[in-house]
Amino acid sequence: MRLLRHLQHWLTGHGLQIAVADFVPETHPIRQWADTFPWTALVAAVERSFAQRFPTPTARGRAPVATRVVLALELLKHELHCSDEQICSQLRTDLAVMYACGVTEVQADRAQGHFVLPEVLAQFRSRIDAALMEELLALQAAAAIEQGVVSPAHLVVDTFPSEQGSQRVNDAATLYKAKKKSSRSSPPSPSTARSGARR
Amino acid sequence: MKAQAQQLQHDLAKIMRRFGRQCRGQSKVFVSLVRQTETQLLTNGSPVVGLARAAQAQVQSATHLAEEQRTRLVTQLTVALAAPAQITTQSRRLTQGKSLSQCKIVNAYDPTIAPICKGKSNCPTQFGRKPGIIAEPATGFIFAVQLPVGNPSDASYVVPLVDKVQTALAHVTTRPTPAIHSVAGDLALNDPTVRDILHSRGILTVGISRTVAPLSPSPSPEEIRQMLTEAGLTQKRTPHQVQLACAAGYSRPVVESIIASLLGRGAARLTYKGQRGALVQVGMAVLAHTAATVQRIHQDRLSKRAHKFRRLLRLKHHKTNEFKVSKN
Repeated sequence: MRLLRHLQHWLTGHGLQIAVADFVPETHPIRQWADTFPWTALVAAVERSFAQRFPTPTARGRAPVATRVVLALELLKHELHCSDEQICSQLRTDLAVMYACGVTEVQADRAQGHFVLPEVLAQFRSRIDAALMEELLALQAAAAIEQGVVSPAHLVVDTFPSEQGSQRVNDAATLYKAKKKSSRSSPPSPSTARSGARR
Repeated sequence: MKAQAQQLQHDLAKIMRRFGRQCRGQSKVFVSLVRQTETQLLTNGSPVVGLARAAQAQVQSATHLAEEQRTRLVTQLTVALAAPAQITTQSRRLTQGKSLSQCKIVNAYDPTIAPICKGKSNCPTQFGRKPGIIAEPATGFIFAVQLPVGNPSDASYVVPLVDKVQTALAHVTTRPTPAIHSVAGDLALNDPTVRDILHSRGILTVGISRTVAPLSPSPSPEEIRQMLTEAGLTQKRTPHQVQLACAAGYSRPVVESIIASLLGRGAARLTYKGQRGALVQVGMAVLAHTAATVQRIHQDRLSKRAHKFRRLLRLKHHKTNEFKVSKN
């Protein structure tokens, strides 16, 4: 049952067939955004890294969800600022998201609830390591340089802070804030009040 | 052993409950009370390490568990065993009233998280990570990202980031292979060692601030000659490249716009766990941002400054109607 739930139903559906590329306008932001990625190189890098680190002991069983789909979903998640559940849900209904995931034709049943489960996305993410992430960034940069879109001649370096998790408001923070508030709302000193009255 | 562990957990919870009760309604945290509780916790919690070691030995000899499960549990216990030593050292220093210098542990489950003493002066210190980026200032295209453990100095980011860009350049098949001419940065990158390393690689550092005074965007020919001589790059770099490097010097608004775009793509709050998770989240945000930047370049939605730079660097001018062919 678990394996069946991961099945790529758009390949075997019985509903209306739609050619995704013909439906999504060329000016659609997601389409234009997706067209900038060097997908072939990125997917090859991911598959090579996974094959080295997580070799499949047997060729039996159903084929996994395509790397192109899950990689695009992970990127779209950041671009559209969605959760795993939201982006997987959008893939079922949004043709622009399907286009970005490389789905060329769709033929789904109305009863079909999902194409990719959020658990599959989380599993894919857990396999990405630092070396692979660096390679993906390098491939994207190399593709842009090759196209003549950007030049690495003059560069700028900087850092930025990034909070980890949801930071709980502790006692120290509460007391700090309370202190600041009370100092702002404290009555003005007699000298300040007098000078204000003169004005 | 299970009963012992449960008893220990109960005792530690009791100490913490007592501490909470004593502080309630007082509107302040008593330092002496914190120190007292800390000592009690350290004393009562000392058998934890012994119990964990015993559990590890039992797991290794448990034949009814699968090999994979045994390996996973042993790894988890090994990681957990390393934590108490670090936490105890930090706690003992604090209870003795000694200040901690660097590498404070702020999360018992992830020692790679550090306080970020950067960016804000009007609120309590946040804790998390400090990613570093190397980008093209004209368009905001990010070439590489660096996410070290803890909160090291900004200058330590420069060389690894430049290395990553050079690795990316190795993937470029077109000839001549592009090269890095200059690197810019704020006053935090003003380190003589970093400058020397960059000069030895033929990279100009005129864009890195030396003082709080703003950089001159158009230096005189005499100043340019002096800059080239100082860097020892008279043979490698031309005066025109120095001029461009000065014009592309560090600018806070430019960097802020790149960072704002990244923060809007989920790099502001790291929800993926651990150092690897943070790297994946920041990396994916950078990939998404970079794709959006390329899209902006294709649509010619660039600032006047970016247009000027692109003209000087002889980069392609893309027309909007080039998007007609699907690349899927």
